[in-house]
Amino acid sequence: MRRVEVSDLSAWFGAKRVLHGVNMVAEPQKVTAIIGPSGCGKSTLIRCLNRMHEEVRGARVEGKVLFDGIDIYSPDVDPVEIRRRIGMVFQRANPFPTMSILENAVAGLKLVGRKSRAELLERAERALTAAGLWDEVKDRLHEPGARLSGGQQQRLCIARALAVEPEVLLMDEPASALDPASTLRIEELIQELKDQYTVVIVTHNMQQAARVSDWTLFLLYGEVVEFGPTSKLFTRPDDQRTEDYVTGRFG
Amino acid sequence: MTTIRSHFHEELDALELDILGMGELAERAVGRAVEALARNDRGEVEAVIGGDDEIDARYLSVEQRIVELLALQTPVATDLRLITSMLHVNLHLERIGDMAVNIAKTTRSILDLPSSGTILAHIEEMSDVVRPMIRIAMEAFRTRDLELCLRLPAMDDPVDRLNVGMYTEVAALAGDPGRLNWGLRMILIARQLERVGDHAVDIGEQIGFLLTGEFREFTDASHPVHLTPDVG
Repeated sequence: MRRVEVSDLSAWFGAKRVLHGVNMVAEPQKVTAIIGPSGCGKSTLIRCLNRMHEEVRGARVEGKVLFDGIDIYSPDVDPVEIRRRIGMVFQRANPFPTMSILENAVAGLKLVGRKSRAELLERAERALTAAGLWDEVKDRLHEPGARLSGGQQQRLCIARALAVEPEVLLMDEPASALDPASTLRIEELIQELKDQYTVVIVTHNMQQAARVSDWTLFLLYGEVVEFGPTSKLFTRPDDQRTEDYVTGRFG
Repeated sequence: MTTIRSHFHEELDALELDILGMGELAERAVGRAVEALARNDRGEVEAVIGGDDEIDARYLSVEQRIVELLALQTPVATDLRLITSMLHVNLHLERIGDMAVNIAKTTRSILDLPSSGTILAHIEEMSDVVRPMIRIAMEAFRTRDLELCLRLPAMDDPVDRLNVGMYTEVAALAGDPGRLNWGLRMILIARQLERVGDHAVDIGEQIGFLLTGEFREFTDASHPVHLTPDVG
């Protein structure tokens, strides 16, 4: 479990600057939530934390993202290795449609070197258990992943992210496409996962941020307005803009 | 700035107005109860007792609406602090209303007994301090004025002093059984007025929390610095 420290981070899409000197820290065994109105740069920020932002054509980054003290943007750092150690779960559950539940769970593992069948099965069970899905799928591991419900598919994607044994888990609106019960299930899972991972979550649902996170960062027009303990941000924020946003006086 | 939760914020405004109205009713009830005592006015006594129904009805309505907002609107930040403060202030005002009733009922039981002008004057003096305390606490709420809240503990001191002094004053009536009987009830009434002052201070503490986000007691009842009743 490692600390992620963001220092004076700016990001661009071509000539358009979308992040302006962001500073934040994601502590181990804590959930850090990033909130803010649509278009404020939440997803860009989280994608900068494992070098996925640069995958977009014309996108670039300035500033530092220190992972365990090492700048992940150093020229000698392998972005693929960074993405293994800092995993990502996306808004829409995206299991590989032709793969079985089992194959989906270990899809990432297969990319990082051959493993024996026994080892793949053991890693799949561990990942599916950590994602809270094992009991629901253990008797149908060879069925297509696409046959699962939306909430189960998202937990399958979380299992897939966990199977490569990352140290940090980034979640970009992981529950926004799910029904309320599946959403609560994911939120419970986040609470369980934080014992073992550094978790960063982007959410447009403020109550979700309040429920699941220890630290909250409020981003507006690509700038950090306020970053602090979630309980403080939702009871007595320091900045009037935070106050106005969390109370729904603008959005 | 666009307000995107206008119904919620309108309901908060409406609740605040209702609570301010309750403050006026509670303060008036205390004043009328003491006036009924001073004037030996049976009609006014019954009016105070009957008038508490309106305070109780408002209390229940405010409480219910706040619980609904908590359940349905997930308030945060200032909204959350306003709602929790109003929940407390509402209860304090309802209790003040009950104290006015207690004073009126005690008065009803001693209407025909001989009284003491000095003690009555001190009871009226207590009333003349605690009623402005309620008004100041509610004004601090209305205007979001922390300075006003902080004036309340000092205002409460003479009330505490008069309440403690009441024991000695009533003890002096020992040779006059009729007046003593009346005087013993005055100890109860003074105690009610002293409690009204405490509730006003507590309302001020809630407003302090609303304004600063930090809750602290203005006075520490478990570690009083002065004024223990001299009843020995």
